[in-house]
Order: sequence, then C-alpha cells, then structure tokens
Amino acid sequence: MDLNNSHEMQARWTRFSMILASCIPLICFLIPLNAQSSSGEPFTNRRDTIYIAAEPDYPPWSMVDENGNPDGLSVELFLAAAEAAGLTVDAKTGIWNIIMQDLAEGRIDALPLVGRTPDREAIFDFSMPYSSLHGAIFVNKKSHGIQTLEDLHDKQVLVMRGDNAEEFVRRADISEKIITTNTYEEAFNMLSRGEGDAVISQRITGILLLRQLNIRNVKPLDMHLPEFKQDFCFAVKKGDEELLKRLNEGLSIIIANNSFGEIRKRWLGNISDREITPAELLRWSLYIFIPLIILTSLLWIIILRRHVRKRTARLKEEISQHEKTVSELHHKQGLLSESEEQIRLLLNSTAEGIYGIDTDGNCTFINKSAMDALLITGQEQAIGKNMHGLIHHSKSDGSHYDIEECNILNAFKLGKGVHSNNEKLWRMDGTGFDAEYFSHPIRIDNEVKGAVVTFWDITVSKREREELKKIRNKLEEEVEERTSELKEKVNILNNNQKAMLYMVEDLNRITAELKTERKKLQESNRELEAFTYSVSHDLRAPLRAINGFSKFLLEDYSELLDEEGKRYINTIRDNATKMDQLITDMLNLSRVSKSELKPIKTDIYSLANEVYDEVASGDQKDEFEFIIEKIPPVNCDHGLMKQVWQNLIENALKYSAKSETHRIEISAKEGKSDVTYFIRDYGAGFNPRYKHKLFGLFQRLHSGDDFEGNGVGLAIIQRIIQRHEGEVGADGNPEKGAIFWFRLPKE
Amino acid sequence: MTTKQEIEILIVEDNPNDAEMAIRALKKNNLTNNVLVVEDGEQALDFIFSRGKFTDRKGMTHPKIVLLDLKLPKIDGLEVLKVIKENQETKIIPVVVLTSSKEERDIIESYNLGANSYIVKPVDFDKFVDAVKDLGLYWLLLNQFPN
Repeated sequence: MDLNNSHEMQARWTRFSMILASCIPLICFLIPLNAQSSSGEPFTNRRDTIYIAAEPDYPPWSMVDENGNPDGLSVELFLAAAEAAGLTVDAKTGIWNIIMQDLAEGRIDALPLVGRTPDREAIFDFSMPYSSLHGAIFVNKKSHGIQTLEDLHDKQVLVMRGDNAEEFVRRADISEKIITTNTYEEAFNMLSRGEGDAVISQRITGILLLRQLNIRNVKPLDMHLPEFKQDFCFAVKKGDEELLKRLNEGLSIIIANNSFGEIRKRWLGNISDREITPAELLRWSLYIFIPLIILTSLLWIIILRRHVRKRTARLKEEISQHEKTVSELHHKQGLLSESEEQIRLLLNSTAEGIYGIDTDGNCTFINKSAMDALLITGQEQAIGKNMHGLIHHSKSDGSHYDIEECNILNAFKLGKGVHSNNEKLWRMDGTGFDAEYFSHPIRIDNEVKGAVVTFWDITVSKREREELKKIRNKLEEEVEERTSELKEKVNILNNNQKAMLYMVEDLNRITAELKTERKKLQESNRELEAFTYSVSHDLRAPLRAINGFSKFLLEDYSELLDEEGKRYINTIRDNATKMDQLITDMLNLSRVSKSELKPIKTDIYSLANEVYDEVASGDQKDEFEFIIEKIPPVNCDHGLMKQVWQNLIENALKYSAKSETHRIEISAKEGKSDVTYFIRDYGAGFNPRYKHKLFGLFQRLHSGDDFEGNGVGLAIIQRIIQRHEGEVGADGNPEKGAIFWFRLPKE
Repeated sequence: MTTKQEIEILIVEDNPNDAEMAIRALKKNNLTNNVLVVEDGEQALDFIFSRGKFTDRKGMTHPKIVLLDLKLPKIDGLEVLKVIKENQETKIIPVVVLTSSKEERDIIESYNLGANSYIVKPVDFDKFVDAVKDLGLYWLLLNQFPN
C-alpha cells in the first residue's frame, strides 16, 4: 500500500513538475517585459528584506516548530524561493484572519500559503500555484446521516473563519447553520466532542491535524468536492508586481534545481490523500481485469468442450433406442392386420353407425351402433339389402327419394367422399331422424368396390342449432337496434365535437387577442413606470430651483424688497411647496395602484391606535377624545391598510379643527363573510348631495382656505379598498360631522 | 478652483441650479473649503481614479466626501457608486447619495451598493440645509480617515 502510494505521488509529481518546467521559458520571457513596463513606476528600488506571516495550524503547509517559529511546507518553499531570488525573509506567525488583514493593509509583504479564490484576487496578487488540493467533509464516526453535500443543508457546519472553506460554504450555500472558529484545531475538537455535525477543510490538512491532535472519532467522507478545489500560491499585496515577479522567479529556480521536489517529498511523502484520478483508475482496471477476462474465457472453453462430449454420447444412445421402438411397432402392426376379428370388434365399439355397401348399394357389413340406431335387430335384416330402400327412402319432408338422386351413392359415382347433415335416415318402425353422414368410396387395387358410410343422430344438436339460430337472429336484431342507437349518439357527439372545435378555435383566437392586449398593457405599464420615475426626478428639480432661488432672493436682497415684494416671493415659495406635495400625492396614488398586494392577518385595532399616535400632534391628543372599540382583525396588506387609516384619521383631525366637539370614534361590524369598519367625527361634515364626488381624484368639497388639501387622500383610500375587493362609502351633513366606512371580505 | 488643490468635497450633479444650492447649503454650514462640482458620472470616476483630465491628481488624497446625484449623463449615479465601492482603495470614501427621488428601489439599491447616506433633496431649501448639516457634517467631521 505504501509502495503504491509513493509510486502514485511520484507520478503525479513528475507531471506537475513537467507543467511547471514548461512554464519556465514563458516566465523568463515575461520577466524582461514586466521589468520594462514597471520601470516607469515610482518604486523600482529593490527590497532585500521582506516580512511575511504564516498561520500556526494548517499542517503540513503551515505550522510552528517546537521553538515557536513558523514551519511547514509552504513556509519552507517560500524561504527557498526567496533565497533563490536573493531576498531575506523575516517570518512571524499569526491568526489567519489577522495576517490576511495585515497583508491587505500593507503591514507585511507576503503570505506563503493562500488558496486562490475570485474574492481574494480582488485584494491580492498570486504567484503561480505550487500545489492543488481538494476539500473534504469530516464527520463524527457515530453520525450516519451525512452521505452527500445536500445532507449538510440543515446541519451545523464548522469552518475556520476567513478560510476559503468558509467562502466555499457561503458561496455554494451548503448549510444554513455555519459555525466559524478561529482555528481548525478548535473546529475538529468541537466535532470530536459532538458539537456541530461536520467540518469542511482541505483533506490533507484535516487528516494531519486529526493525527496530530490524536482524535480518533472523526473521519473524512470518501467523497470529492469538485467545487472546493484549491490552488495554493504565495500572495502579495495587490499591485506589488516587483515582489511577485521575484517570488515567481525564485519558485522557477527551486523547481529547476529540484529543491522544490525534495521539500515537497519531505513534507508530503507519507501521507495518503486518498485521491485517485479517473486515468489511474482505468490503468488499474486494465492491469487487473484483462488477465481476469482471459482466464475466465479459457475456463469457459474447457467446460463447454466437456459438456459437448457428454451431450453427443447421450444423443447416440437415444437414437439406438428409437430404432428399437420402431421395429417393435412394425411387428405389432403385422399382428393386428392379421386379426380381422379385432377390426370388427373395433367397428362395433365405436359410437357412430357404420355400414358398408357394394356398387349396387347393397349392404356388405353393418356395425352395432348402426343397428341400434336404425332398430335393426339382426344382421340378416340388413346384409345384402339395398340400403337406400331400407333406410334412405324418403327426403326430410317425407317425399319419395329416388335412388338415382341418392347422395350416399355419389361416393362411388363421383369417386370421392361426400358429406351431408340435412337429410333424414329412417328406422325400421317407419320413424325418421336427422342424421349427419360421411360416405367414402372403398378402393381395392385402385378400383372402386363400394362405399363405407358413417352416420350419427343429430336430432338433438340440430334442435339446439335451430334454437341457437333463433337466439342469434334475436341478438342480431338487438345488435342492429343498439348499433343504430349508437350511430345516432355518435352523430350527436360528432356534432358536439364540431361545436367544441369551433369553441376551441374561438378560445384560441380570444387567447391570442388577450396575449396581445396583455403585451400592450405591459408596454403601457412600463411607459407609466418610466413616466412616474421621470416625474419624481425631473418635475421636482425646477420646483426646487424656484423655491431655493426665491429663498436666496429673500436672504441676499431683502433690503431691496418692500413687504409686498417679500409676500410675493413667499407666495411663489408656498406654491412650489404645494406643487411638490401634489406630485408626492400623485406618485403615492400610482404606487398604491401598482404595488403588489401581500395580504396577512392584520390587527386593525392596534394599527388604528398606532396610526393615531403617529398622526395626532401633542396638542391634538390633549384636545381630542379618541374612542376605539375592540374591532376584529382582517386579512389585508399591512402597509396599504396603514395608509388607509393614516388618511382617514388625518381627515378626521383636520375637518374637526374648527368644530366644538373634538371626538373621533372607531367601530366595526362583523358580517358572515366580511367586516365593515367605521370612523366618525363631529367636524365640518359635507353636503350629502355631493357624496358621489367625495372619492374622485382632485375632487374637494371644501375650499383650500377653509381646509388645506388637494383631493387625493380619499382617492387613494378608494383605490386601496378596491384592490382588496372591498367597498368604501361615507355619510355626512354640513357642520354635523361625517362617517366614513369601508368593507373588506374576510378571505 | 484648480484640480491640483486638495479637494475635500466632490459634488456630482448635472443640474447647475441644484449644484449651486448644494454649495450654498454647505456654505450655510461653513463647509465651503475645496468643493469641486463635476457634471457627469464619467468625470466623477475620472476624478476619483486620477485619469482623463484629472491625470495630474495622481498621488493626491481622495476627497473626504462625495455628494452623488443618481440621475446623471453618461454614467449614472448607481454605476459610479458601484465602481467606487467595489474598488479596495476607494471604497472607504464616504458617498452620500443626493437625489430628488423617494423611489424605494433607488434607496434600497443605493444602500446595497454601499452608499453611506441617502438624502432626498427636498423642495424646501431650509430642509435641504438641515439635511446637509445632519448627514454631510457627520461624514465630513466625525468620520476620520485611517491614516
């Protein structure tokens, strides 16, 4: 196993150094170019001492030795590369988070071990990578629930803060519960104690750290994290091209003189990272499986041959047995043909009636079944008699059957078998029965010598057949009837189908029209949105200038203006402010119309109280009596409902300002499927004759001198309630106050 | 004012009236030293990154605060904000977004991109002076740069 591993490591290392070596000419080519381009920069003085920092527990890459000095593969590589590039290095150790910050802010010059990620590329510049590693998931051996990356979703995942494992779990959204630790040592100790479900880190680092901490109840999963692959590089501060160039140069030199390989071998020589590439897998399978397949094939051929030999022997034996049986059969047939008696016995044992006739139609033999059927009591009654005259003398209808027409005799007249099932045979007592018969010519030496007739009584089966025929006819009638009914139904269905097709066509047309309309609507919505956006920006700018510059006029030239002049300017400013309010209200209305409804169960009682608290000034709260009953909650958009109550309560306060009674009453009435809310004031009220104008945009029932406003508030309320599929209304009388109400469906 | 001087406040505003008002509002708060107005997003970025006609500013310190309008010619304000806040070196410059819009998406987008404050330019100039006082002063005086 060790041998395999070192072999594998060596092969991989050889490949890696080949890639690096092939980079060297390229780097050498780039160096003069860089030097040229950076010669114009202010910092061309060569630094000879640089400061670096390494983290203490990222074995074997970065750690501390017994004396507390930085140590590890990355540190040693860095020192070697720096030395080759003629640099002196002052190295210290520090927590990863802090030393990363140090580099970003220029307190140190370089870090020997930084995994290259897109996030970090923004802050650092990276040397060429000197190693690539894959990450792993470490779990407690007792836990069985974690097999894949997806299983981590609801699990607590431990990572080192600021490590690229943290970036990876956050970027790939691995888990909702991420616990960060200062070091990986801390993370693995926690996992070992059963705090947290998994640690994600570099596989090698994790394995080494576990070994070093002597933790035995934590293991890595045998699973690749292709998204968490890591190129380890040296990092310098973004833009420090000079140092980067020298570090790359140093790396190239130690790769070329093989001290890189030795350092690497010393630190990684005996560690298994358990990663096998697909190519290696293929090679191993070739080594093992091809000989195995050849061996199996040979074995199979031997077994097959033996099997064929056995089969051949068994077949030969079977053939000889068959030959024996055939000869025995021949022998038995000979015996049988000799025994005429046996044939007679055979004839008499059959259920069918059988008799033979010669060419004149006279009986030559008759069997027992025939005699029984025809009520012939002895052979002598039939033998030698003309059988047509004896049993076949009449047709089914009872009329005479001439012998010249006899169908049975056709057998030897035509020289072939005849058959009938619609004639009668006649018994000795004169009664007839329906019979079916075959008549076959008897040939001796190819000459017709007579015929043999086989017959049986079909009275019963004929009757059954006729009954069956009747039933069949009846069935046919029914089938026909049903078929015609079905046809009719099919016709109706066809018509319906046609109607349906027309309807579908209509639907398609309407859908297409709807689609076009929707497109138009979306278009005009977009235009409207652009318009509103433009209004909110562009229409305000001139107002701001009018207001602002009027103010400057007042401030800078007040001594040149008399009181009337100042009043004019103030009027200009007031109007600009009013117009701004108007724009704000209109934008508000448009926002109310287009914002998405998000209905939730809303406590209207608390909402109305909260709004009153916000809207009423301190003085108003002292003056007003605010009475609110315990009113039910309802499903609605919280933000929009708040707007409704703001407008309603503001109105109630505003229109009560000049009245004697300062009271606002809020109540509700719960119906079966809806709730109606009421707000009543004892203020200026309105003339019910103009009730219909109340909710119209820019419609006012009071002059601006009496009560300020622009007629948008109630329009907004109506729009919001309508969007909730509710109703809104009001009642009132001049100087007696007003009741506003709105009704919302419960669902 | 030449751009060779240290600039403390950069106003990015294409409407000269608004720019004048902003300067006046700053003046009211005794903050008139070294103010520069540029008229579009491109000039703003040229200034911040010392390029184009501001090449000679290379090596000079960044402004202490940027007042940034959103609706600007060439490169709009959100894009300017994004570029400033994505750059490691410039992201520490406080940027106060100044706009006439109360559009929620503008406010949210500005904060998402890293704006330090957001002032809706009110029509009433007095309120504008107050807003500049509250937010501008905070970022200018209380927020010291790390040296």
